Amino acid sequence: MPSTSLALTPGLGSFLKSLKTNPVETSIENLISLLKRRQIRHSRSCATATAYLLRHVVSVCKTSDPLKLIERVQTVGRRLVAAQPREMVVGNVVRRVLGLIRDEAEDDHDAEFALSEAGSESQPHTPRAFDDPSSSLPLDRDALSLRGDGAERQTSRPTLHSMFSLLSHPEAEFSPISTPGTQSPNGRIPPHGAGGKDVKAEVLEGIGEIIDELGQVDDQIASYALEHIHSNEIILTHTSSTTVQKFLVKAATKRKFTVIHAESFPNNHEATHATVSGKSVNDEENLSTEAFQKPLIALGITVILIPDSAVFALMSRVNKVILGTHSVLANGGLVAAAGTRVIARAAKVHQTPVVVVSGVYKLSPVYPFDFESLIEYGDASKVLPYEDGDLVDQIDVQNPIYDYVPAELVDLYITNLGGHAPSYLYRIVSDHYRKEDISF
Amino acid sequence: MADSSDMAQTNLPVIASTQAQTTATGDHPTSQVTQSLPIREAKSTKTPTSADNVNAKKNVAPKPSMSTTDGPTVAGGEKPLTPAELKKKAKAEKAARRAKEKLAKEGGAGAAGSPASGAPQGRPPVTPKKDASGASMAQKAQRATHTRRGSAPTGHGGDEPVKKEDKSVAVFGHLYGQPRRTTIAGAGKEVHPAVLALGLQLRDYVVCGSSARCVATLLAFKRVIESYTTPLGTSLSRHLTTHLSHQITYLSTCRPLSITQGNAIRALKLAISSIDPSTPELSAKATLCEFIDNFIREKITVADQVIAASAAQKVQDGDVIVTFAGSSIVKQTLLSAHKQGKRFRVSIIDSRPLFEGKNMARALANAGLDVQYSLVHGISHAIKDATKVFLGAHAMTSNGRLYSRVGTALVAMSAKERAGGVEVPVIVCCETVKFTDRVALDSIVVNEIADADELVSAQSAQQLTGVTDPVAPSKPDNKKGGKGASNAAKPATLASDLETSSSPLSNWKDNSNLQLLNIMYDVTPAEYVDMVVTEMGSLPPSAVPIVHRMTE
Repeated sequence: MPSTSLALTPGLGSFLKSLKTNPVETSIENLISLLKRRQIRHSRSCATATAYLLRHVVSVCKTSDPLKLIERVQTVGRRLVAAQPREMVVGNVVRRVLGLIRDEAEDDHDAEFALSEAGSESQPHTPRAFDDPSSSLPLDRDALSLRGDGAERQTSRPTLHSMFSLLSHPEAEFSPISTPGTQSPNGRIPPHGAGGKDVKAEVLEGIGEIIDELGQVDDQIASYALEHIHSNEIILTHTSSTTVQKFLVKAATKRKFTVIHAESFPNNHEATHATVSGKSVNDEENLSTEAFQKPLIALGITVILIPDSAVFALMSRVNKVILGTHSVLANGGLVAAAGTRVIARAAKVHQTPVVVVSGVYKLSPVYPFDFESLIEYGDASKVLPYEDGDLVDQIDVQNPIYDYVPAELVDLYITNLGGHAPSYLYRIVSDHYRKEDISF
Repeated sequence: MADSSDMAQTNLPVIASTQAQTTATGDHPTSQVTQSLPIREAKSTKTPTSADNVNAKKNVAPKPSMSTTDGPTVAGGEKPLTPAELKKKAKAEKAARRAKEKLAKEGGAGAAGSPASGAPQGRPPVTPKKDASGASMAQKAQRATHTRRGSAPTGHGGDEPVKKEDKSVAVFGHLYGQPRRTTIAGAGKEVHPAVLALGLQLRDYVVCGSSARCVATLLAFKRVIESYTTPLGTSLSRHLTTHLSHQITYLSTCRPLSITQGNAIRALKLAISSIDPSTPELSAKATLCEFIDNFIREKITVADQVIAASAAQKVQDGDVIVTFAGSSIVKQTLLSAHKQGKRFRVSIIDSRPLFEGKNMARALANAGLDVQYSLVHGISHAIKDATKVFLGAHAMTSNGRLYSRVGTALVAMSAKERAGGVEVPVIVCCETVKFTDRVALDSIVVNEIADADELVSAQSAQQLTGVTDPVAPSKPDNKKGGKGASNAAKPATLASDLETSSSPLSNWKDNSNLQLLNIMYDVTPAEYVDMVVTEMGSLPPSAVPIVHRMTE
């Protein structure tokens, strides 16, 4: 069964299945080809596949030397990113894993450092570094473990350095330490002497948490739904994004509102139709990543399906535009399904707020100096079927898959950490990715 | 309208019989059609098989139609009917149908039997030939009745209003009038065959675009006037207007009238009423026909040439021109600019469900222009390197707004708000006959709702082939041949009947709370329009009411 399904439908499910049996190199090649052939497409599927692959890579890695680990993950990451440079979540996950390894390494270092050298400058450093995560934890809204406190630690670090260790311990000189000490990513401080555990185990645990996060992210985002949707609203959305659907479904359990759904022809209309009518399509990727979900209409929500062209006409009636996205850039702009930009524009023109729901994993530290390079073009036959062959020969048919939407068109981002203004995103980016990993 | 689907069943064979019998040339509707048989123009369909059928049918057909109607159907053409009357009519029709079915069983003539089953049976000999526009038309009508019956908002009986309520989008509630007429059945006997045919063509978007609709209407009315005789005791100038208004009512049940049609009809009525009652009928009719010819020539044909010439001057070498959907006048403009030897690129943005841009793309590409084609989702990409936007219009409102195919506003907006701050000039090509004194602020108050089933992908593909049928008769055949073989092309497979059921929207009407909205137009704010090119010169949109007053 697995072998046949593997051969028939390459995708996230088959990849994950094969991951256990195949040697790591084969798996890497497998994912690379999946990415290249766009057989893995949804950002979350890409992220999940990458995370699983990296976990595999780390676990089979012979060494537990952080530097070697970093190097290994970097090489794998580079290959993955090279396979599909526009799929930014892949890079994001790689960066997260790299950051994780670095954190572990530094924690070891810190621990070691604190024990061995009670120097006057570093004295305040150590307690704080340990203190910090635990104290910050309650502040972190959804206690998102790993990332939350990784973030906190990172934000605190520059201050520390600037104040105490300007001269003595610049970050780049943190070297991998021979004696491994540990700190769990959750911010619990493990007993030091006993922590003879290796970095690898911690890293694996950390990656496991990333994977968990990817699984829960939509639900976490959905938990904010009631803060943003009031009764009797008219909400416009676009594409069949599951994040948006879950968000709306969550709100629908408590409130009555109306959803206007633009069908995003031609790249996503079938999925959209299936979403609005509640009939599942045989999309293996979708089935594997999410449980079957009740459609909005079953919850008593009126859903109006419109062609994309009618967006402007209806915008004057819309209270809120809620959009899913493909990836979010550090400047607050986003790369989303084609057609999103005009929708956001139309909303801006009508002074309708635009809300983008997106997991933090889609947040990329990339600054878009060249928008064009981010845009992918798809199958032209979806625009003009081959039946019109005579026409296809004569004219240039374009089917862009993504749009770049500038930050000024977005009013609010809702991630699994809460709501943010677009201008705040750079901060979240710097919380999640380490500077040295931005271009790994 | 509850009657129309029923009437469709009752009268389909009847139409076929009359098609073959009367060759629609010079017959007088009033005298001939005492049995309330709608006569339509039949160009051919006189294959022997169909003739046989017809003969068989002819024996049966008149009876039920007589029993059906007399009272009700004659009134069926007119609109104002009280619910009670409607109910009564429905009942009468039901009775008639039963009677007919019984008759069919007795008579045993399978093909000519009950109309519900008889129509599809009787049809096959005709359909494969596919030679006649008449046949394809009837086929289309038939298909339409099928969809109506299957999922109709318009059935009959008690559950119908509930369902209908459910599926109309609340905000647009005021625009859901009677559903469009699907057949010529139930049309008043006064309606001229040319008008009957035109009505169906309008409904199926065979005649589409406001200029084309205007011209087609006027030409049909010209034929109405030619075949018109003033009844005794009235004068032409008095009676012809009412006679025409029957035709107009019929047309508006097929598809709501366009602004151009309204303007043309107003002008025509004015011309009729200004005829001196003492004028002999022949010369009066000649005057009116001449008036119509002049109107078409002045307001549309020549106007188009003038507009195309002056708009083509706006095109420069190296331009990248973005246009939306298929406007005939924009096409003409671009072609004439191309003829002048200008080198430019055209980027056509098209939209579901009509895909009007396809024909435009084909025409331009055949003329040798450099054409790029994308759909609404690609607007922001297409507009990126645009230097000018040319738009067609359905109408220009008195507050300077552009009322045009839905999606136009998105294009104009993108042109005006391009990142980087460079605005692309938006030029609207529009004859003054499209100017109206109506005003519009949003696209909701004034609009037109098309059948939502057009949005269901399978349906739209079908419709599309149906539309192209008369234009390019050879193509659909090719398509149909290829359909079985090529599974790769998605729309092809979608179009085939098997796939229809698998489309998630195929029976969307069964899903409560799910609504489909298919509006035809949107209103582009005046500030997005830089220039309106008319036959009276190039104007800012604010000049629309002034020009409109001048031309009145």
